[in-house]
Amino acid sequence: MTSARRRQIGWAFVAPFGILFALVFIVPITYAAYLSLFQDRMVGGRSFVGLDNYGKLFADAQFWDGVSRVVWFTLIQVPIMLVLALALALAMDSMRLRGMRFMRVAIFLPYAVPAIVSTLMWGFMLGVRYGLFGSINGWLGTDLDPFRPSTTLVAIGIMVTWAFTGYNMLIFDSVLKAVPHELYEAAAIDGAGELRVIRAIKLPALRGSLVITIIFSIIGTFQLFNEPQILPSMVANSGITTYYTPNLYAFNLAFTGSQQGYAAALALVMAAFTIAIAYAVQIRGMRNALDQ
Amino acid sequence: MTTTADVRPPGSTARRHLYTLTNPRKSGTLTFLTGLFTLYCLIPLVWLTINSTKSQADFVSSFGFSFGTRFALFDNIAEVFTYDGGIFGRWLLNTVLYVVAGALVSTFLAALGGYALAKLEFTGKRVFLFVVLGAISVPGIALAIPQFLLFAQLGLTNTPWAVLIPSFLNPFGLYLMWVFAAEAVPTGLLEAAKIDGAGEFRTFWQIALPMLVPATVTVLLFSFVSIWNNYFLPLIMLKDPDWYPLTVGINQWNKLASTAGNGELLQNLVLTSSLLTIIPLIVAFVSLQRFWQSGLSLGAVKG
Amino acid sequence: MRLFTKARMVCTALVAAGALAACSGAGGTTGSADGGAGTADQPVKLTVWSWDGTVELAVPGFEKANPGIEVEVVNAGSSSDEYQALDNAIQAGSGVPDLVMFEYFAVPYFAIPGKLADLGPLGATELEGDYVPSAWNNVTNDDGIYALPSDYGPAVMFWNEATFAKAGIKEAPATWDEYYEAAKKIRALGPNYYITQDTNDLFFLLSLIWQAGGRPFEVDGTTVHIDFSDEGTQKAVAFWQKMLDEDLVNTKISAWSDDWNRALNDGTLASQNMGGWLTSTLPERAPDAAGDFRVSLMPQWEEGEKVGAENGGSAFGIPEAAANKEAAFKFLEYFTHGEGLQPRVDAGAFVPNTSVLDSTEFRGVKNSYFGDQKTGEVLAEASNIAAVGWQYPPFFEWARSTYADIATPFYTSGEGSLAEVLQTWEQRSVEYGNEQGFTVD
Repeated sequence: MTSARRRQIGWAFVAPFGILFALVFIVPITYAAYLSLFQDRMVGGRSFVGLDNYGKLFADAQFWDGVSRVVWFTLIQVPIMLVLALALALAMDSMRLRGMRFMRVAIFLPYAVPAIVSTLMWGFMLGVRYGLFGSINGWLGTDLDPFRPSTTLVAIGIMVTWAFTGYNMLIFDSVLKAVPHELYEAAAIDGAGELRVIRAIKLPALRGSLVITIIFSIIGTFQLFNEPQILPSMVANSGITTYYTPNLYAFNLAFTGSQQGYAAALALVMAAFTIAIAYAVQIRGMRNALDQ
Repeated sequence: MTTTADVRPPGSTARRHLYTLTNPRKSGTLTFLTGLFTLYCLIPLVWLTINSTKSQADFVSSFGFSFGTRFALFDNIAEVFTYDGGIFGRWLLNTVLYVVAGALVSTFLAALGGYALAKLEFTGKRVFLFVVLGAISVPGIALAIPQFLLFAQLGLTNTPWAVLIPSFLNPFGLYLMWVFAAEAVPTGLLEAAKIDGAGEFRTFWQIALPMLVPATVTVLLFSFVSIWNNYFLPLIMLKDPDWYPLTVGINQWNKLASTAGNGELLQNLVLTSSLLTIIPLIVAFVSLQRFWQSGLSLGAVKG
Repeated sequence: MRLFTKARMVCTALVAAGALAACSGAGGTTGSADGGAGTADQPVKLTVWSWDGTVELAVPGFEKANPGIEVEVVNAGSSSDEYQALDNAIQAGSGVPDLVMFEYFAVPYFAIPGKLADLGPLGATELEGDYVPSAWNNVTNDDGIYALPSDYGPAVMFWNEATFAKAGIKEAPATWDEYYEAAKKIRALGPNYYITQDTNDLFFLLSLIWQAGGRPFEVDGTTVHIDFSDEGTQKAVAFWQKMLDEDLVNTKISAWSDDWNRALNDGTLASQNMGGWLTSTLPERAPDAAGDFRVSLMPQWEEGEKVGAENGGSAFGIPEAAANKEAAFKFLEYFTHGEGLQPRVDAGAFVPNTSVLDSTEFRGVKNSYFGDQKTGEVLAEASNIAAVGWQYPPFFEWARSTYADIATPFYTSGEGSLAEVLQTWEQRSVEYGNEQGFTVD
């Protein structure tokens, strides 16, 4: 078989995915890039403004407010969530847990809960008046309120961690399951203890998936949207503004503010920003995997 | 208590020996700590279950973690399925359609692509991968409007295709398949099959795919969940409630409660339907998990 | 290639299962060349977007009386969700409905850029007489009639007689001064007791300004004037500032939240100044408070006056891009004036039609939830006295979402003042409006 023919066949394998991908992602992204060069006005319609939207964006304090919020959120929530997920996956894999199967299912379950339902539940549970915090404040005589502007982000962190720790745990768990068991046998014969097995075998095996979960978590938190979008209808004065996260800002600009061009520019800048960070994180892990 | 080791295929005495050597007994501390996290994960679901058993009047007037004066779960379920001409059943069927078609097609495409990326050489492979991984970092919200306009041009909005076509894509699934294929499918085996005269697709279908079963189940599961919970895209694409999936329908019921005006208060229906929405996922996950743990394909890798 | 065959097989199997069979036939309105009057030979299918469930009730009667027209009522989302959907549909040029529900403030947003049809030529002009003046004012401007009012929100006060009695108050406060005194007494009942709540509730604040005679927005075509410094506005804002400063208003519970339902239910929130439509929802929100609530006119600024305002309400318009305008108007008239009106009223819709409000049928009904009070009398009076001349700027949909951004820091920290909030809001609205091509000052 010639190498040219094999090249063709490789493309045939990815073609169905690629064609749909072009339709669902590439064409709309290109269209968004086109839109970002225009300004929409309620009076006067659409006009070409070149790169003005981008210039305006970089000078927009509301945009930067949202960006810095998700950056802080990412820096704190993602490590906490992934360390938890990693610890849980290793705990599951150690087979030292009672009720392991039950707990694994239980920890993953929140991922299966639609954002609308989870926000509804947490909005109630963290409520100061009739929710759990109402009871806690009643017992302790405190005045804790998870949905003040200063604490809302923490509450969202609790909700996001709740929803996605199990998902990440499962990814780690599935990678650990793929580790050939000869390695453990060999380690046991060498007299290696459990922690050493974790350090020498399990963690290196997890490296690739760790890189990818970091990337996906960054992408996820940069796109934080559902919780801040749904919460304001449930709790008062949570401090969630229309530009609370860049994604929410883009949504509000496009849908409430009729500024589609500006929203498209914002989204593309955020995408570039996300890709740059993701690329910085993945550059090593990706190379390693590709060169195998 | 059954452990994972019991469902692995019977191994050599050496492996049995290993099992007892490295896992001599259960750890109470570890179980406790993991148990705490499990509790954190379950409490909201307990709340949901308890409150699904309350009538609307009880929901408003009773404490969240106590039951109402009347056990109304079955009344609520009956009402969920009969409210507004039984539209909930329609939403349920729609969701099943979106999930079954979407998860099967997307998983198959991901397996095909991921395998090719891992095991076949072709020019532009890296570019393809980077484009795919790069494109998914574009916020979905940003794509929503252009996607809507494009689909409207193609006459697909307000039809199930508007939800299905994007569901056929699972870039993360592609990535997972690629990683699994790279690690779990020995290239030598594929070469051997090709030397025996098998075509590329037959090699994939008969040799690689069985080895990818654990990954396939994983991707299937994640596709299943993400399509089941898909909210934003159907919200934009569909205006006809007859094609709504559950999430959009439930949110519409919920919005009635928080919208000022004549909206009907349907919180008991919102909560009960939320519970009904989650249950199939729980069932699917539990049953798929058993399958997934079988480790059959890992045995095949070793064999 | 086998893999493609395989993929196609999956699709074919699904279609065979019947699941997708209807795909191609769904959605879209079928237009007809004659402007869509609809005849038995050339049937017309109307798509109506409404989150008001009562509209559906008018369909069977209408279809019977108009054999050529078929009506499909669709809930395409509430409020903003629906406006976004309409904008999307208009932009995409497909799936534009024939009749759309709008809150009053959203009518100019669509009407001024020419997205709504003028209903005057279709026959709306003669319907003016059947509406209370302010409702009609909401849907018209100098250029035309852009929607017909379908439900109404005269601002009234719902007050919990039992809680008021506990605080030693027997009568509904007739003036805002009396309301202030009552608030202090209710506040003294316990840490959870408040006369009402406010978590940057813009529509309440505007109804207060409206009633006090403030007219902060003036709109003339694409020219908009915004000014929060007129006398009426200042009076209303100063009063409410005093209520907030003295901790007489609960700023932690927002309206329509679960906490709000519960606080109304247990009587710790003693009153609501809201639109008349709350009459039909309150029983669901606060079932345990049955018999406790009463409805009165909003407290007045001067003793002996009778001035009202609006808080909420909605109308239906016909998009310029709609395929069947004539048939759409036929149905619109049917459910806002014709035979279709009564079934809606019977189901709890509160409408601004004088024919309904003045009827003894409407005024005489005793409402058991409100302790057998004849609530219709109060609501009808509140509708008739709603002050006219209020206008919303065409970019109000944007402005109201921005208001929450600006007001939240004030409501949570107590720093600054309502007046400063309004000033910032004015500034931002002027900027935005000018950016959108309006002339705003």
